[in-house]
Amino acid sequence: MVEEIRAAGLTRRAVLTAAVAGGAGFAGVMLASPANASDDAAELIKHLTGKTPTESDRLHLAMPRVFANGYTVPLTLVIDSPMTEADHVRDVRVLAPRNPLITVATFHFVPQRSEPRVSTRIRLAQPQDVLAVAEMNDGTLLMTRTWVEVATNGCA
Amino acid sequence: MSTPTPRVQVPRTAVKGEIIKIKALIEHKMETGLRRDSSGEVIPRKIINQFVCRYGDEVVFSVDLNEAVAANPYFEFYLRATTSGRLDFVWKEDGGRVFALKHDLLVG
Repeated sequence: MVEEIRAAGLTRRAVLTAAVAGGAGFAGVMLASPANASDDAAELIKHLTGKTPTESDRLHLAMPRVFANGYTVPLTLVIDSPMTEADHVRDVRVLAPRNPLITVATFHFVPQRSEPRVSTRIRLAQPQDVLAVAEMNDGTLLMTRTWVEVATNGCA
Repeated sequence: MSTPTPRVQVPRTAVKGEIIKIKALIEHKMETGLRRDSSGEVIPRKIINQFVCRYGDEVVFSVDLNEAVAANPYFEFYLRATTSGRLDFVWKEDGGRVFALKHDLLVG
């Protein structure tokens, strides 16, 4: 039952196992340190999507730097985009790589109809870099990340 | 177990072209499937897995939710007011239950 449930989502273990099978390079995620955190994030996204993201200051992921309660951490996401047919954000995925299940949510926007801006509340299991990955209309991936320190495990 | 109750906050009127703020919330435990009860049995996953907002007939904003969205999932998002019409809000729960609200927006 447990395996069945987890199979539906993407577990940290599944990603790591697949990555180790696929090549040693990705195993670095397990040894994440501040010095190479950015590279690990890019590797993780490449593994999930098959594309290499570019760090971009067009994405703004606002979260508290320190938050006591891991059960309900506020998050605001804003993307600088004209949202025209020719230049818009298709969707934005939020990832918490150190949660038991990595993908938090995916937001879908529509050119000329919705603004690429959303606020919500999420669960974090431990202090970590939360990632936002935006897929633009031309298929390119932009990413940003923000460090959040939680005191309690919101996934227990 | 309490029945999930959805709520939205939407302006009644807007000027054409205006960006309007929408707040949408549903009271829901968002059971992750990762917890066990007192006898050690896994509590099955039951989350709201999708939220969709339609404006007229068109989907204008949607969210795929996973386990790490907090209980009582809340979204604040922004739409461009184009024409008077109906906004439909739909929440889908694991197992197929659906919760919905509608709201008429007058655009002058």
